[in-house]
Amino acid sequence: NSPAPLPERAIYGFALFLGSWFGFILYLIWAYIPETWLFSLGLTYWPQKYWAVALPAYLLVAIGFGYVLLFGINMMSTAPLNSTHTVTDNYAKKQQQKKYQEEAIPALRDIPISEVNRMFFLPEK
Amino acid sequence: EERRYRSATGAPLWLRRRQHSASCRELAVRGPRLQLRSLSAATSAVWLAAYGLFVLCQNSMVLSAAIFITLIGLIIYLHFVKVDQESLLVIGSLGIQVTSSYASGKESTTFIEMGQVKDVVINEAIHMQKVIYYLCILLRDPDDPQGVSEVVPLFQSSKPRLDCLTEVYRSCQEILEQRKTAPQSS
Repeated sequence: NSPAPLPERAIYGFALFLGSWFGFILYLIWAYIPETWLFSLGLTYWPQKYWAVALPAYLLVAIGFGYVLLFGINMMSTAPLNSTHTVTDNYAKKQQQKKYQEEAIPALRDIPISEVNRMFFLPEK
Repeated sequence: EERRYRSATGAPLWLRRRQHSASCRELAVRGPRLQLRSLSAATSAVWLAAYGLFVLCQNSMVLSAAIFITLIGLIIYLHFVKVDQESLLVIGSLGIQVTSSYASGKESTTFIEMGQVKDVVINEAIHMQKVIYYLCILLRDPDDPQGVSEVVPLFQSSKPRLDCLTEVYRSCQEILEQRKTAPQSS
């Protein structure tokens, strides 16, 4: 899963590059060429030109709204100060105690908050 | 005795510690009283805005409405929002009492009995784009001896900083340790 360049990725990239240029030219044609000229070419069932202006406007407003929305969703999903999620969670509740071995590094575990507090704040200055 | 500290927002606070007996201690955190200059600033802003509206629409009801809003707003603020003092009374073997006194004189009290208290700890949490330290009481879970059923945050309005919280934490732990060394009934 490394991000190194691969032949397949080069091909996908070039196909996307050509596709996006084609899409852009098509959008410019649709937006600028008068309807009568398009009708005379036989292209009668293309969407209204109103959307050539409306869609970019919607997109820009959606991006701005997305900033505010993301900020708000983050604030809403932060655990409130009185919830137990600030202190523990399911993994910490279900952890098993490994036996203490002499001369070995102690096993990794979630230390309860009472113990952490005693270590940090109780020793005299 | 009383000592000066700062809140998380920078406002000055006073912590008063009183020892009533060997197993009973009271810790009170007092914030600054309502300042005359902030009250005058708010009132002047509201009244000037109302006068500006009056000049625009020539309706004198705007002025009476502004006076009314200022009065009612001040009463609501003093009675429901402005907390003067928050105190913690720890009585070993009986429980912990948390009191909030508002500027209008109203006091709101909560009592938690010692059997439900697991520990009093300093916890860190994210609050409004900041990480703050706050003191909280962990309540015991009846089903799980190691678990925490509820977290009761303390000093929510004054939000003292870590130095003040460490003092309060040490005082509480001295009393809570007594219940481990002297269990009267199990």
